[in-house]
Amino acid sequence: MIAPLAYTKPRSLAEALELLQIAHSLPLAGGTDLLVELKKSNKRPALLVDLKGIPDLDELALTADRGLRIGANVTMNRLIESGELVSAFPALTDAAMTVGTDQIRNRATVGGNLCHASPSADLAPPLFVLDTQLVVASLQGERRIPISALWQGAKQNTLQPGELIVQIEVPWPGAAAKMAFLKKMRTAGHDLALVNMAGLLDPVQGRCRICIGGCACTPVLLPGTDTLYQESRDPDQLTARLLALAEATIVPIDDVRASARYRREIVAVFLQRLLKLLAVETKGWGRC
Amino acid sequence: METRQNLRFVGHTTARKDGVAKVTGSAQFVHDMALPGMLYGKLVRSPHASARIVRIDTQAAEAMPGVRAVLVGGELNAKIGLYVRDKDILARDFVRYQGEAVAAVAATEEWIAEEACRAIRVEYEVLPPVLDPRQAMQPDAPLVHPDLEQYHCLKGVFCPQPKTNIAHQQKIRKGNVVDGFAQSDLVVETRFYSPPVQHVALETHTCIAQALPGDKVEIWSSAQSPFTLRNLFSLCFGLAQQDVRVHVPYVGGGFGGKAGIHLEPLAYALSRKAGGRPVKLLMSREEEFNTMPSRQGLFSHYKTGVSKEGKILALQIEYYWDAGAYADYGVNVGRAAAYSGAGPYQIPACKIDSFVVYTNKVFGTAYRGFGHLEVLWGIERNMDILACRLGLDPVEFRLRNVLMPGDTTITGEPITEHTGRPDFCLKQVAEAIHWQGWQSEEQRIRARSQGVARGKGVALLHKAPAMPPATSSAVLLKFNENGSVDLLTSIIDYGQGTYTAMAQAAAEELKIPLEKVNVPWDSDTAFTPYDWQTVASRGAFMGCRAVIAAAQDALRQIKETASQVLRCSVEDLVCENEMVSLAHRPDIRLAYADLVMGYVYPNGNAIGGPVIGFGRYIAQGLTHLDPETGQGLPALDWTYGAHGVEIEVDLATGDIKILQLATSLDVGQVLNPQALRGQVIGGVVQGIGSALYEELQFSPQGELLNPGLLDYKIPTARDLPESMQQSYVLTKQPDGPYGARGVAEHPMISVPSAIGNALYDALGLDFFQLPLNAERVCLALQQGGNEMPR
Amino acid sequence: MLNPLEQTIISLQLRVNGLPVQEDVPAQMTLLEFLRQRLRLTGAKEGCGSGECGACTVLLDGRPVNACLVLAAEANDAEIRTIEGEARDGRLTPLQQAFIEHGAIQCGFCTSGMVLSAQALLERNPHPGREEIVEAIAGHLCRCTGYVQIVEAIESVAGKGS
Repeated sequence: MIAPLAYTKPRSLAEALELLQIAHSLPLAGGTDLLVELKKSNKRPALLVDLKGIPDLDELALTADRGLRIGANVTMNRLIESGELVSAFPALTDAAMTVGTDQIRNRATVGGNLCHASPSADLAPPLFVLDTQLVVASLQGERRIPISALWQGAKQNTLQPGELIVQIEVPWPGAAAKMAFLKKMRTAGHDLALVNMAGLLDPVQGRCRICIGGCACTPVLLPGTDTLYQESRDPDQLTARLLALAEATIVPIDDVRASARYRREIVAVFLQRLLKLLAVETKGWGRC
Repeated sequence: METRQNLRFVGHTTARKDGVAKVTGSAQFVHDMALPGMLYGKLVRSPHASARIVRIDTQAAEAMPGVRAVLVGGELNAKIGLYVRDKDILARDFVRYQGEAVAAVAATEEWIAEEACRAIRVEYEVLPPVLDPRQAMQPDAPLVHPDLEQYHCLKGVFCPQPKTNIAHQQKIRKGNVVDGFAQSDLVVETRFYSPPVQHVALETHTCIAQALPGDKVEIWSSAQSPFTLRNLFSLCFGLAQQDVRVHVPYVGGGFGGKAGIHLEPLAYALSRKAGGRPVKLLMSREEEFNTMPSRQGLFSHYKTGVSKEGKILALQIEYYWDAGAYADYGVNVGRAAAYSGAGPYQIPACKIDSFVVYTNKVFGTAYRGFGHLEVLWGIERNMDILACRLGLDPVEFRLRNVLMPGDTTITGEPITEHTGRPDFCLKQVAEAIHWQGWQSEEQRIRARSQGVARGKGVALLHKAPAMPPATSSAVLLKFNENGSVDLLTSIIDYGQGTYTAMAQAAAEELKIPLEKVNVPWDSDTAFTPYDWQTVASRGAFMGCRAVIAAAQDALRQIKETASQVLRCSVEDLVCENEMVSLAHRPDIRLAYADLVMGYVYPNGNAIGGPVIGFGRYIAQGLTHLDPETGQGLPALDWTYGAHGVEIEVDLATGDIKILQLATSLDVGQVLNPQALRGQVIGGVVQGIGSALYEELQFSPQGELLNPGLLDYKIPTARDLPESMQQSYVLTKQPDGPYGARGVAEHPMISVPSAIGNALYDALGLDFFQLPLNAERVCLALQQGGNEMPR
Repeated sequence: MLNPLEQTIISLQLRVNGLPVQEDVPAQMTLLEFLRQRLRLTGAKEGCGSGECGACTVLLDGRPVNACLVLAAEANDAEIRTIEGEARDGRLTPLQQAFIEHGAIQCGFCTSGMVLSAQALLERNPHPGREEIVEAIAGHLCRCTGYVQIVEAIESVAGKGS
């Protein structure tokens, strides 16, 4: 049961930001994480500010000059159902496809998935490797932060009270870039990621990005991978160096879902599979 | 009983009787019920696995508006329990598992009850928990029930041992194992583990209870066994059975978890304290995991002696059941799984000690298979390990030892040509998966280089209903004016399809269309006749036998009236197509509709009266087991079966994909092919859950770490084998209805063992512990094997 | 404007199974509680309360959602379909009929949600393949049937018609 609270549904961003000034108010997006928390934890907001009445947050646009812009309210299923997106950003739509169930994906929003700041948020790895910027709004105005700056710790974001993610900006990765997403679950059904991973490889621009989720208190973008890639494109050597880097960078824990040891094992397996996929194939479901 | 050809309804696929109610959402479960003036009950649960309750402060909760009753254990002086009365309605003085209820509130609104529970302050003195049943048997182990000797128990059947944690020890003694081992060419010792798991019926436990004036009680419960519930409830409160009325409407799955008695006494105690307003208790999913019972964990130790010809000569087994905090059905699981505890094999010398041991965990209860999935995990893996050590094919090794007519079971029951044929089942599944023997080590090495390994495995299974020797069923067939009948039973159909099968039998026997048999999903101890319990795969067997008897009784009544009208002897009358007619003059006849409310002559005279057929069935010829040797006749009917499985293993991640799963069961007679297929597939998939995913995980302090569906995964539609086949052997059960045997639990049993055996074939590694999740497989590949439990 | 903190009771207007509904509800009431307690439409069940089991599934503007994770207030102005609205004038839909004919039902607790998700799929795509069918019901836990006969029931309807 959810304890008594107040609810309001502003029609504009400005109005929403005003409302979020009220003490103990919380923004409500898809609700698929928040409502579970309200039922199970001692979190007691006085006011829920439903963001779904704000048209500004609904945009989903793919343009040649500005890349992909995703309004915070866009649901997982809206991402998946956009044919254009599936071909342009397969790792992103593959990741969205693994979020919860069909019913969850009809409600869960991109903004909500990120704000929840889970270390294993499925959208994080693809958005990390794509150099995504978040547009954060408050009464003081808008600011842009790189997506990596959103995570403070497990389920803790760096947003100030009264701040909202309004838009997710994903630059074009370039025509030669390939990307892929992999996720380890306990069953073939719906599950949180034990480990998830996205990679981007652009042989023309010499870019190589790997982001690993579920293996630290935040998603981990492996550092210095562009340089590694530029130094050696030999697949075996690159794989070995990335493996060593990943091994040294991640800090997985033992928990109810998996042991740290198994997570490390999966990271090694996934990294090799990811690099193979990036070299030959970027389509597919990425369920492993 | 005779078996017949040319059955019109029995043996044919017919639509479920509950189909329309369920596809339209009109089927009402207790979950859906709300009574006028009803209060909502909520629980305060212990965060500790073992603790002394120092004090409970309920003042703030009692003062809250809307709160109508606050209850703590000290106010209730009554213990409940099925076989051992060891459980307080609310914990008193001590809590024995994390999640145990220590206080409860009834309030006008659900959220008020929750708030009030939060306002109750409980002070605990935390005690060290005992979590492993083998450690719990050590002399210095903390006692979960220091006063065990003071508890009531079913004497002569179960024997709790005072000043220990042993709730029951079942012994089986056949032949002399010392001699058997001495004669053996090879003696092998193995140990296995099967963890506690949850039923995950989709409807969580729920009930409504109302204390009525005059010490009467009315209960609506999501329960499998209304009469056993009523009986235990009456004993608990010292009430007369006729004053306690239990209703069971539609039930959202049971699998054993809703047998016995659970929330009803607490709901009643709250209602009594709240001045008689009805109180509803509905478990959240978290409470379902944390507070409601589970399947027991099992450590199993085997020592097997075999001849070089591949005959088992001696088998010594210790089973250590992790009963959790209360005995519930666990003691009977330990008993039943002992008398079945050597598998469907001829064992000349067998010694089994099955210990059911208290620990500080959520308590165990019945779960589909009643211990057999757990023991057959060990037995059927052990058979493969033995075959391997002997250099024999595992199918061939099983065939050399499988029970055949002329053999005797480990409790001394003779196997006859009617008992069933596990060997046929095994051959069918071996053929279905094209079993050709284990692959060679070279083949395995080749597969490893490609990252994916395939393997095949088989496993046998058997089970008889685990029940006291004298359980019974009764059925009423109550005719309506138009010649239709209402079939009244207290067997509960919580999805198995029992009512449809019973309706088929009624239509068959009464010679009426199936549409004219109505089965209300509304068992009520005041109106529907006695039935012991809906457990043990006994419902269709005993229920249909009672239906057949009730139909014969109804037809006798119809014929008696007809014989007067038609002026003939009863013996000359036959029934067909809703008519009774003279055997030699079919044109001289009467419609049932003209007889079943009494026959009325043109002048207004009337004879006969409403026809109500009564039928009953009691298990016959069964005996208690000798407490020292376990010898006796426990089995109403044996159902044998086998699974054959082919898997693919991702050698890097450890993920198992099931390519094919073939099941063969000796069902005697198929009552309804579609319903049977549904039972088999459903059971197999539930078995896959136990095999690959499911496990209650506990912290070292005994806290359940995965009390919900987020972290306790059960199979979804994406987790199915690529193909599943079912085939049946039809060895008629002489006293089964139309020759049928029980088959509700069996499909689940031995699914883990077949998959474990296929894993050996794929990897050349033996697995000893469940579940076979990807992590366990992956790490075993790295370590060169899965360890036997210590 | 009202003090937002005082908006604890929401005046709700929506359509449920084609009929207009107007009710004042507490802001914290979920759509599932609203349907079950206020409208006594109990076909949608609560199996977990956290979006894992799918037993509470209803269609919100044509899409399956977990009614346990939607506030009733969020359904203002929406079109809700529950299992009770599927059969019209006592006539079952072809999908409901198929569930019965294929033995796709056991205890029945998951059935309402399964039927609605499958119906939504068929309305979006009248001829889905097995993969799409499995995907559509993968968010519904069923502990009884092992899913096969449910998939077959949906396939039988997917194969029919134009």
